[in-house]
Amino acid sequence: MASGNMKEIKRRVKSVESTMQITKAMELVASSKLRKAKARAEDARPFFDELYALMCRTAGQTKGLETVYTAKREVKKRLYIVIAGDRGLAGGYNSNILKLADTAYGDAEKPKIIAIGKKSVEFFSKRGYEMTAEYPGLAETIKVADAADISQTAVDMYLSKEVDEVRIFFTQFISPLTQNPLSMQVLPIVAPVGNAQPVSRIVDYDPSPEAVFARIIPRMITSLIVCAVNESYASELGARRTAMENATDNAQEMIDTLSLAYNRARQEKITNELNEIVSGANAL
Amino acid sequence: MTPFKLKIITPERVLYDGEVTSVIVRTTVGDKGILAHHEPYVAALGIGQTRIKTVDGAEKIGAVSSGTVEVTEEQTTILAQSFEWAEEIDVARAERARETAEENLNRFKDDQRKLDIAEYKLKRAINRISTAGMK
Repeated sequence: MASGNMKEIKRRVKSVESTMQITKAMELVASSKLRKAKARAEDARPFFDELYALMCRTAGQTKGLETVYTAKREVKKRLYIVIAGDRGLAGGYNSNILKLADTAYGDAEKPKIIAIGKKSVEFFSKRGYEMTAEYPGLAETIKVADAADISQTAVDMYLSKEVDEVRIFFTQFISPLTQNPLSMQVLPIVAPVGNAQPVSRIVDYDPSPEAVFARIIPRMITSLIVCAVNESYASELGARRTAMENATDNAQEMIDTLSLAYNRARQEKITNELNEIVSGANAL
Repeated sequence: MTPFKLKIITPERVLYDGEVTSVIVRTTVGDKGILAHHEPYVAALGIGQTRIKTVDGAEKIGAVSSGTVEVTEEQTTILAQSFEWAEEIDVARAERARETAEENLNRFKDDQRKLDIAEYKLKRAINRISTAGMK
């Protein structure tokens, strides 16, 4: 019986070892990709910050700030842009953000969805949401043109009153260990009136402050999408690295326990054999 | 000439952050030259070229497609949807983009939105090709 048990343990150790090799490899891949993704997320931030600052300054100069982009109207129909990953095995990364979007509208009518990432596409099409657009496999190599496409769709739907509110759901990258699922209102733009700076000097606008403001907004949304996708992708890799690191640690722990059991079984077998020999010799 | 600070930023990265002596941009209403101590100014940019003169007198040309330029007392900022220096432009890719755009112009005769997009892409491609020829 003991030898059968030993064989069983040996087989399990082998299977755990091969799993550990896979999780270790995934951990390494995720951490090397994470470095690049983090740099990209950081590169995208200055544009957004500068554009936002410019928008605030311009808002201070425009008298009739109540443009179509900022005017609040009664929210009946919503458009959600939801960014999730293309692959699983990233801890709670996918389920956290998807759940947040799935529960955000309460008892109101189901929102229309622009899904970015395979997991997001699968999740919402399975649950009977109306899919406005699907972008699987976009996050790793997002181009400004792709984001401009999405922002154009969202702005068109908003201006034609097909939807009254546009929100984006993404995962904020705080550190490789901490990521924060977040939702942000895109349209109507939360008017930066509070942040608007007083007119200190007369600024010359070409052709007019209103025209500049109207041009900034689509750019602003495009840039917001680029930032959000980059942040989410970095978060996904961070989450995957942590998850795989834990899996590797757990596998190591299992191997340790199993080899202890194996050694015990071996010891027991030897002791039994010795006992048999000694009692056999005594019988003679 | 007096140098002043210039920043050129796209949603992908920061392309320039340093001192220049002059900047010429193509706004939606025409070309605009900016020197040090220019009055505060904001304009929307169209598709066109941006020329800058660095402190050592060298001239650099870039292809811009839509964005804004802002002049404040501290610095001048160009926020562009896309910006490429003449020497970095992939001419073969720009040629391909031009061909595709021309095809689309013929194909989508009834769809105004697709037509607008094709026209915009054609203008961009032509701008990139002609900018690349200026280096």
